[in-house]
This record gives sequence, C-alpha cells and structure tokens, in this order.
Amino acid sequence: MNFDLDEIVIEEQCRPSPLAARVTAACAGVPVRFTADARHDIRPDPNAADPFGAGKRRMVVMNRRTPFLMACPAGSSEFACCGYLVMVLASNCPMDCSYCFLQDYVADNPAFQVYANYADAIDELERARRRVPGRALRVGTGELADSLAFDRITAISRDLVAYCASREGILLELKTKTDEIDNLLAVDPGGRTLVSWSLSPERVFASSEKATASPVERLRAARCVLDAGYRVGFHLDPIIAYGDAERDYLELLDQLFDFVSPSKISFISLGGLRMTPKLRSAARRRHAHDPMLCGEEVLAADGRYRTFTPLRVSLFGALERRIHAAGPAILRYLCMEPASIHRRVLGHPPAAPAAMGAALARH
Amino acid sequence: MSAQDDLRQDVRVWAEARRLDRAHIDRWLALDAASAAALLRAASTLRLRAGQAQAALEMLEEIALREGVDAASVLARAPFKRILEGAGSAPARARAFVEQLKAVRFPRLGQALERLKAQVAALKLPRTVILALPTDLGSDELRIEIRVRSGEELRGAMRALESRIDGIERILDLIGGAL
Repeated sequence: MNFDLDEIVIEEQCRPSPLAARVTAACAGVPVRFTADARHDIRPDPNAADPFGAGKRRMVVMNRRTPFLMACPAGSSEFACCGYLVMVLASNCPMDCSYCFLQDYVADNPAFQVYANYADAIDELERARRRVPGRALRVGTGELADSLAFDRITAISRDLVAYCASREGILLELKTKTDEIDNLLAVDPGGRTLVSWSLSPERVFASSEKATASPVERLRAARCVLDAGYRVGFHLDPIIAYGDAERDYLELLDQLFDFVSPSKISFISLGGLRMTPKLRSAARRRHAHDPMLCGEEVLAADGRYRTFTPLRVSLFGALERRIHAAGPAILRYLCMEPASIHRRVLGHPPAAPAAMGAALARH
Repeated sequence: MSAQDDLRQDVRVWAEARRLDRAHIDRWLALDAASAAALLRAASTLRLRAGQAQAALEMLEEIALREGVDAASVLARAPFKRILEGAGSAPARARAFVEQLKAVRFPRLGQALERLKAQVAALKLPRTVILALPTDLGSDELRIEIRVRSGEELRGAMRALESRIDGIERILDLIGGAL
C-alpha cells in the first residue's frame, strides 16, 4: 500500500542505522531532514489545520528512550483482559479510521514514529521470556500502530518473525488493516507468528476506514499468510451498531469462513465501538461527515460512549452464535467488556489474562 | 443586506440573548439556510432554553448526517409539525420537541426503554419497591430500591419481590440483550 509522506525526519544518532537507510532508499522524493533530538519533531504542528492528520504524514526515525514492552493500554480492572503484551515499534498510523483511539491517545505526539533501535525490543523480549520460563507470552506490535502499514519500507517484520520463530513460548501477533504481507511471505514463522486482521463490513470500511485495505483484500492476504505457515486471527472490532449491522456483520463472518476455514482460525475477538468523551469529540471534529459516529451510543458506566447495552449484547450474541456454529473450537473473547457481558455472550466468565495468552500460544 | 445575512443576524440575536455558547452559534450558522431558519422558527416558537437549543442542534445535526437529509426536512416531519403548531404551553411543547428529537436520534433505544418500562409496570410492584433501569441502558445492572418505614412494610416488599422474581429475571435478560 502507498501512503503519502510530507517529510521524513531522522535523528542524527540514527543516521547510520539500517532502518534509516531502508526508509530513505524506499522513499526517494520525500524531503529528508536530520535533527539532533527528534522529540520536538513528534509534537503536533500548531500551524496545521489538523495536527493529528499532519502527524501521520511526518515519519520520524528515532531511538526509543522508554521500554518497548508495556501492558496493553486497554487493560483495566474493569474489563476482562486477553493478556496482550504490547511491543511498541512505532507510534501512530498512516491510515485514518474515524473511530481510532490514537486520535486522543497520541494527540500530543502525533508524528509517525519508527524506532531505529528496535533490536533493543528483541532484547527486552528475550529478557522477559527468561524471567518467566515456561509461561507463554502473547506479544503484539499493533496497538499504537498498524503492525504492517509501513513494512514495505521498514521491513521490521522480517527480523521480528525470524527471532520469534525459534523461541518457544512466544506468540507474536502482527495486527493490521493492510495487505502488506510481502515481507512475511519471505520468512518462515515456525508457527510462532500470528497475523490478525481487524475486519469490518464493506459499509464501515467505506465510511470510516480511510486508506486501509478493503475487507476482501484483507481476507485474501489472510489466506496467503495462512498458506505460508502463519497462524491467523480476526478482530471484529469496533463493531458499529448501525441499522443493518447484524446482517452485514453476519455476512462478513460468512465471507471470512469462505476465505479461511474455521478450523484454521486461531481466534476471533469481538469489541463494540467505545469512545471516551474526549476521543468522541476529536473523532467527530476530524470526521464530521462519518455517519458511523452517530449511532445509538450512550454514556456507559465506565465513562465511555458505547452502544446501549441490550443492542450491543444482542449483536455480540448473534455473532457469537454464528462463529460457534461455524467453528466451536475457535477461541473467542470480548475486548474491553466487563465480566458480566462476557458471561452473557460467551456463557462463561473470562479466562485470566495469563491463561488467555497461554491458550492462544497453544491453540 | 441579503436574506441570508438577515437570517444569520436573527440567529445571532436569538442565540446571544439566551447566552448560547459561541461554538454552538457557529454550528447553527454552518447549517444550510433552510435548516438554520427552521431551527430558528422552532426555537422562537417554543421559546427553547439555551440547553434545549444546544441539545436540539446537536441531535438535528446527527440525525441529518445519519439519514443523509438536511435538518429542515427532519423538522418538517409530522410529529414535529404537530408540536410546533399544537396547543399547550411553550415549555411543555419545548420538552416534547426535545423528547421527539431524542426519539428520532435514538430510535432503538427508545423502543427498548418503552418495552422495559412496560415490563416493569406489569410487575405491579408496591410503592415501597422501585426497579430503576440503568440510565439510557448504559449497563446491564438493575437497581432495586426498597423504602420502608416498618417491619410490616419490609416484609411486604420482600414478599412482593420474591413473588416476582421470574418477571425481574426476564427484565434482566432484556437489559442483557434478549430483546
């Protein structure tokens, strides 16, 4: 996929890095500027009409000063947790989904950052693995950025997949809305990398997911990586409860099962549209013409706008029944929902975070 | 001055007199002329308070965006015309107007609430027991309040609850997605 960049900023200390070389070689024609300390360059441009959007078009190659591994920001005592450990290799995303939480989460540092010292992330992961011998770790790079959006340029996935291929107990999850899989097809994942796609019906894609691959392109890509030895999972998240949502999401599931046999799917997660008031304001300001942001969301007990409970749960229930009918063994979970909703939809309480990671690693 | 300028001026005068905030005045003025005028007619006729005008504007924008129509055509629908042209006090009609907008903005929520309220009413609970549905059905939790002043009232309330457990469970199921 091709994304527009206005500028590339490279921190001086990263100038000799392989990542900087790959980026400049792949982006001929994009102005490149070097800077001693890029931390100023990741800030919002006060002169831009849309500082967050402008940040997406400024790629900053820099060293990460803080740990690469962190707990998933969606984790909280309020919600059932899927045990996802986040590896931050980049921040922000060249795609522009109207509902994206990054519009609030990285509003103060919106530049598209990629970290030249990503080898340190692999060292961190190795240390984490040794600290908890025998425990399965589910590690993903797709929380603060799309895992593959710029992989054509950065090729980070090759190093990461190759590292994980020989490490027992690690399940690497690359989460994406792209079909950027060329680098993946060149590496043997050894069964330890799972590529997951966020999937939405055509109507949500057309209305809310700018610059992403279409649902069918994502499914085709999933089929390709599956054939190449990767595991695959799918996130129906956010589920948006517009008028014909149930019909469209069920059709999407049917389409998914046409492309990928249910027996080959490692997991399907479900998550409803959820927005803090601050995110909702930012999203509506930036995407004033997206009707998907004007559904029947109400302020829920957790302070987020969510589709009112009976409608949300009934939609989850319909999807759960379809998934169960197609593949009872597919691991399913709900993202950022309380245990009571988990029980209503899935019929059992959520697994403990570590158990979820282990189950996914085994599955 | 053009008719458009006159309209903008009239909106400003009305909105500033009610201390509507600048952001909402700008949003009002950003509507197409027919929609801005229709809202002004409604606001003036019903003497909307600032909070009501603000809520009405926001809901109208959202309905228009979702349905792909303009706000003027929403306000031209029969239920709104009935309120705008009907009898009754302005404050009562203003409340009905905002409620009607909410019903259009949140149609399925309105239906779900109606159905649940009917189920609660059908339980015929004594006045000592109140079943409080979650606000806007924003959670799956039902709050049950018991207010008593004597042991006899307490026993009566407990018996009433005990004898209606199946009905209450049904309401919990409905809140939890069995609509």
